[in-house]
Amino acid sequence: MRGYNGLYLVGNYPDPDTFVRAAVTGLRYFDFLEIGIPFSDPVADGPVITDAIETMVEKGLRLDELLESVSVIRRGVSRDKKLYFMTYSNMVYRRGMEKFGKMCRDNGVQGVIIPDIPRLESAAFREAFNSNGVEFIQFATPENRKEQITEVAEDAEGFLYFVSIRGTTGSSLTLDEDTKEKITAARKASSVPVVLGFGIRDAATANLALENADGFIIGTRIIELLNNGGITDVENFYRDLAEGLEQAGIQQP
Amino acid sequence: MSIVPDKRGYYGMFGGRFVAETLVNALLELEEAYNAFKQSAGMQRELAVMMERYAGRPTPVYYAERFSRETGIEVYLKREDLLHTGAHKLNNTLGQILLTRFMGKKRVIAETGAGQHGVATATVAALMGMECTVYMGALDVERQAPNVKRMKFLGAEVVPVERGGRVLKDAVNAAMKDWVKSVKGTHYLVGSVIGAHPFPVIVRDFQSVIGSEAKEQMVKLTGAGPDCAVACVGGGSNAAGLFSAYVGDPDTRCIGVEAGGRSFEPGQHSATLHCGEPGILQGCLTYLLQDSEGQVLPVHSVSAGLDYPAVGPEHSYYKNENLVEYRTCNDREALDACVMLTRLEGIIPALESSHALGFLMANAGEFAGKKVLVSLSGRGDKDMPILEKELGL
Repeated sequence: MRGYNGLYLVGNYPDPDTFVRAAVTGLRYFDFLEIGIPFSDPVADGPVITDAIETMVEKGLRLDELLESVSVIRRGVSRDKKLYFMTYSNMVYRRGMEKFGKMCRDNGVQGVIIPDIPRLESAAFREAFNSNGVEFIQFATPENRKEQITEVAEDAEGFLYFVSIRGTTGSSLTLDEDTKEKITAARKASSVPVVLGFGIRDAATANLALENADGFIIGTRIIELLNNGGITDVENFYRDLAEGLEQAGIQQP
Repeated sequence: MSIVPDKRGYYGMFGGRFVAETLVNALLELEEAYNAFKQSAGMQRELAVMMERYAGRPTPVYYAERFSRETGIEVYLKREDLLHTGAHKLNNTLGQILLTRFMGKKRVIAETGAGQHGVATATVAALMGMECTVYMGALDVERQAPNVKRMKFLGAEVVPVERGGRVLKDAVNAAMKDWVKSVKGTHYLVGSVIGAHPFPVIVRDFQSVIGSEAKEQMVKLTGAGPDCAVACVGGGSNAAGLFSAYVGDPDTRCIGVEAGGRSFEPGQHSATLHCGEPGILQGCLTYLLQDSEGQVLPVHSVSAGLDYPAVGPEHSYYKNENLVEYRTCNDREALDACVMLTRLEGIIPALESSHALGFLMANAGEFAGKKVLVSLSGRGDKDMPILEKELGL
């Protein structure tokens, strides 16, 4: 697919086999995978992902079990595909930042995305991860001022996660002029891809993201498809998305 | 005790601003606005006038003579139950609604457990003609029905939250999700000394009137300060307000009382400082009831205002520094105390405040003959459905 794009799945949801298959086939199309480690209080997530996370928390999913799936995925995809963990700060803090970083390194996980750690609280986490060769992914948002965006873009590692909207995951995507300008500023200052997340759910919104940024992350739509149709629907969606984006690419001047 | 928090919003190792990047500038703007609000003689004057004429301050300190005779403890009650809307919550909401107007925002959102903070927020929103949405766990909506009706009557939208244990913590999550969408024109009127900096310090400052008034009143009434200052702790706002006058004072022991619930088994209590370990929830690093993986545990208390799995970061700091003692009172002891105060003094205390009294009754020997100041943080009318059920009235 055009761009540098990510796929988000909730760890071991709805079951380990389906999760692994959705991840492995997904990574034929996507460049990186975000593996959500379920946390009881997912404040950045909208209703669809929150439901999936709550299901896994109720099932009592343990990190060790999830790591087994991660190693199957790691073996099933090529080395240039990147794996990231996405979770909330307490899941890292509880295990210990240093230990968490080491665990990522030992399991072939490239970096960590933590939506409730803003830049001004990030130093200790980033240091602990970096000392293990693990990336700390940073966020930029439409609420940031231009100088904040430049600052975060300049020292972003892995990719810069640009939260495209004010809201939670699964909200609908609109990019106002101000936001587009901020994305442009981020791309100018950043040496890594600027990837749009939140609100991307089909070829049209993905294409809108690619017109403005280096890539997109898609999550909520995949969880919906897993809930309503299952793995076949998800795999059809990957294929249709890739085709849709290719056509949109050809149509572009 | 203005040594905490530091500039980054830390109380020792606790506190901070663990929120989505989207909210960071809103927190920085709030901090700046709050500092300007504190410096503004006009705003401080307006707040003082409203506290007196609208809210009914100062609230009295009352010597509970019959209760004292019965327990063998000299008990003084700081009567926050007499404040407009029936609890200490209005001290904070009145301050924050003026701050909201000062910032030019026109909508407020709030979380509520027992409904007292929700009512206090709906009240001041009506007073200022502002739009108000209150998030409340669906279980709390059921068990605190009178307060839900009051909020609606005051013109607030009440949103029952059907997630998690359907209690206070889940209401905070829902409010945070609203705020991340609405941050431009909306102020999140946090109800306790919890959440990301600067909320814990703003709420403490607005509640510190409890402590500063009581300190003077105790001296006037008894010629000296109390041996102990006791308050219940859920998030910990009335306790932070009371303790602000006494922390570090060698003559007065500060004691915070957490909800011991049914037992100390996981899910059966909300004694965060007693059973929890440091963790990060809803914006701050603080003691947290969690399992070995880091999942937040369900909580229970007979009182809907205390069942919160975390606690204000200032209390976590006080615990670690041994500046305040944190003890517990179980459901039964709280209910007994509620009955006792009602029958001996004609004061129906909120079940939250009943925990402070229940703790004293259960430990009467330890406090025999001592002069104890108790924050009677709210009145118990809202608890009638629970009291009927628990006591078979």
